[in-house]
Order: sequence, then C-alpha cells, then structure tokens
Amino acid sequence: MNASQRVSIETVTVVGAGSWLGATELAHACGADIDWVVQLVEVGIVEQAAPKERPDAWRFESTALRDALEARRLERDFGVGLDAAALILDLQREVRRLKSALSTQGLGR
Amino acid sequence: MDFKNYYSALGVERTASEDEVRKAFRKLARKYHPDVSKEADAETRMRDLNEAYDVLRDKEKRAAYDALADRVARGGSPEGDFQPPPNWDQGYEFHRGAGAGPADHADFSEFFSSLFGAAERRESARRSVRQRGEDHHAAIEITLEDALKGGEREISLRALEADANGQPDWVTRTLHVTIPPGVHAGQFIRLAKQGLPGHGGEPAGDLYLEVRIAPHARYRVEGLDIYMTLPVTPTEAALGAQVQVPTPIGSVVEVTVPPNARAGMKLRLKERGFPGKTPGHLYLLLEIALPPADTDAAKTAYRQLAEAAPFNPRRHLGVDA
Repeated sequence: MNASQRVSIETVTVVGAGSWLGATELAHACGADIDWVVQLVEVGIVEQAAPKERPDAWRFESTALRDALEARRLERDFGVGLDAAALILDLQREVRRLKSALSTQGLGR
Repeated sequence: MDFKNYYSALGVERTASEDEVRKAFRKLARKYHPDVSKEADAETRMRDLNEAYDVLRDKEKRAAYDALADRVARGGSPEGDFQPPPNWDQGYEFHRGAGAGPADHADFSEFFSSLFGAAERRESARRSVRQRGEDHHAAIEITLEDALKGGEREISLRALEADANGQPDWVTRTLHVTIPPGVHAGQFIRLAKQGLPGHGGEPAGDLYLEVRIAPHARYRVEGLDIYMTLPVTPTEAALGAQVQVPTPIGSVVEVTVPPNARAGMKLRLKERGFPGKTPGHLYLLLEIALPPADTDAAKTAYRQLAEAAPFNPRRHLGVDA
C-alpha cells in the first residue's frame, strides 16, 4: 500500500525573474481562488512584480508566494481577517529582520 | 507505528467541545509559532498540532477517530504496533473542507495517512470534475555553498499517485533535485507536475520547495547579503594592510584594510553576495585579534608600544588610568 519510487528531476525553475507566478497560479498554490489574490493585493499582503491593471496580467515573485501561504494559514488557523494578517506579516518580517541583524552582530539566540 | 493521541497533542479532554478544541489549538499554535517559540522542536510540534487539529476540528474525522480509539483500547494493541483494522472507516465520509488552504496533508504522519489516506483516495477517485491537482509545498535546507554554486539534493516526500489500476495511492517518492546556482533563502524552487495528481485527465499540481540556508560556521546570510567576521591584528588595523579573505564560493580575494580601522567596522565586497536584480554584497566585520604576549620579545614589544603611543581607551569614562 505504501510504495516508494525514485524520481530524478533535472529541470526546475526558481520563482522570480523570468518565471513569475500568475495570479491564477498563486491562487492555486494556496488552495484559493483568484478573488482571494485580488484581496491580497488590495490590502497589500502581496505586491505585483510589475504593476498591471488586469489580474490576468499580474506577475508575482517568491516573496509573494511565501506571504500568501502565510496569510492563508493565519486565516485558517486563527480566523483572522486579511487586514490583521497584513499587520501580523509586517510584524513578522520586522522580527525576522531584527533577529537577523542581531545575529550578524554576534548577538541574539 | 504508534497510535497517536490527538487529544493529548492539543491538551484537551475527549469530551472537549468544538470551541474548546479550537481555543486549545490556537493557544498552542501561538506558543509554537516559529517566530516566537524558544523551543528547539517548535516546527515538529507545529506539525503535530496541525495534524491533530485537522482531525479533531472535523466532525466526521473526529467521530471516526474516536470510534477507532475505542476499538484500539478494547483490543489492547501493543505499543508501537498499531495498524488500522481493515475497513475501520466504513460508514464515514471525509471531505476536505472548502477554504482548507494549502495542501498540508502530505506533511502529516504515517499514522494520519494510514487512517485518512484511503478516504482521500476514494474521494479523489470519485471526483468526476476536471481539475488540476493541488500544489504541494515543502521546505528544503541547503548549504550556503550549494545555494551560490548550485548542487544536487535528495528529498523524500509522501504523495498521492495513480497506481497501475488508475487508483490514487500514497507513495513515498525520493526526488533527486538539481538546485540551480544563485537561489537564496525564501525563494521557491518550482517542480512542474510533482504535486498531487489531477482529476479527469487534468495535469498534476506543482511542487514548490521553499529554500532555507543551513547555518554556516563562517558566514551569516541576511537577505541577499552575506556577513563574515574578519579578524585582523592591531598592527593591520592601525597601519592598514592587504589581507586574504576566503569567499563563500571557494575563492580567496585580497582585501585592503584601511589605516585606523576599528573593531566593528564593515568592509564591503561589492556584489559578492547572492545574485539578484540588485545583487547582494559580502560584508566583512572587522574584529581585532591580539597577538598573544607569551614570549619575552612579545611582552617587550607591547611595553614599547605603550611607551611610544600612550593611550587611555577609558578617557570617555572619565577615568585617568
């Protein structure tokens, strides 16, 4: 019942310059729909790589995927609204930046 | 395989209401959130919590799990030897709720998939709609050197795949992945069609691997920049010097330490960090390392220096000596 197999993968893409994620792809990666991505853009949780009017022309970087996934989990696990999620993500980024700055000075954990 | 007690994972009684289960989960999810937790095993604890909550928040799954726990208690299966009885879940239907979010199930334990994997298989096979498979996410930790220069990694994942009869089945897949050079922390590597299988002839979803850089003994990474502590002697710091510095890609470069350099001073090696639209830099944080005064000659030299260049580093503290 629990089989195992080996797969060799030669071709991968790095999400970012040259291989952006479209709005539909970002939504699909988060188990959501495109309207949800539109809301993320409206509240500023994710930013387009190069701002365009129509959602089908939107392009996103890796950071957008990371923040969108995190927002999805915050919604699901804590029932927070997207505005609160945006604030939590801002604070989280700031905490990580400060921790990283501390560690470059040999301080912190 | 151990029988997992999802109630104790969340610290609630079996009689706990939906509301109590939710509150317990949220409290623990805050405690073990990787950004605030001081616990070394926070990530594993979070995964266990997510798994327990996935079952206990869902009425059908919880009822099926409770019934099975009763059977196990009556049957007294020895510790570590649990196998779900055949058709244990007959009569229960499990659905992935709308808005369930990213497909985390593949990260759950073998225990979880042995219980609910079969139901997910049935549900998946029953779907007649044409739909692309769900994307799957995982993290991959690579060395700084591999991130900069590229490398190869193996990663094992459990995933739903169609078997010879076209029925989806859980398989453990070991992926041998070529890491492209220049990936940095927080970027996603996308593996096309390595996610969950599609329905009605639609393609599988993709697998996204979030890149994490393993801690390095010598270098620290911040965004696209790389930091390293560079020890210099007091003589090199005072008079300036050309010193050799090893870079993360394995080369050695000559760096000029300017005269009157101080501890904590930052030297920048332009664009020797991670590549990007705005490439990162390699920063060298100067640290003054004292030559040991362990010979008469060295002691004499220190005394001569003190005489030749009288210096009170504590003057700003308002003391004379």
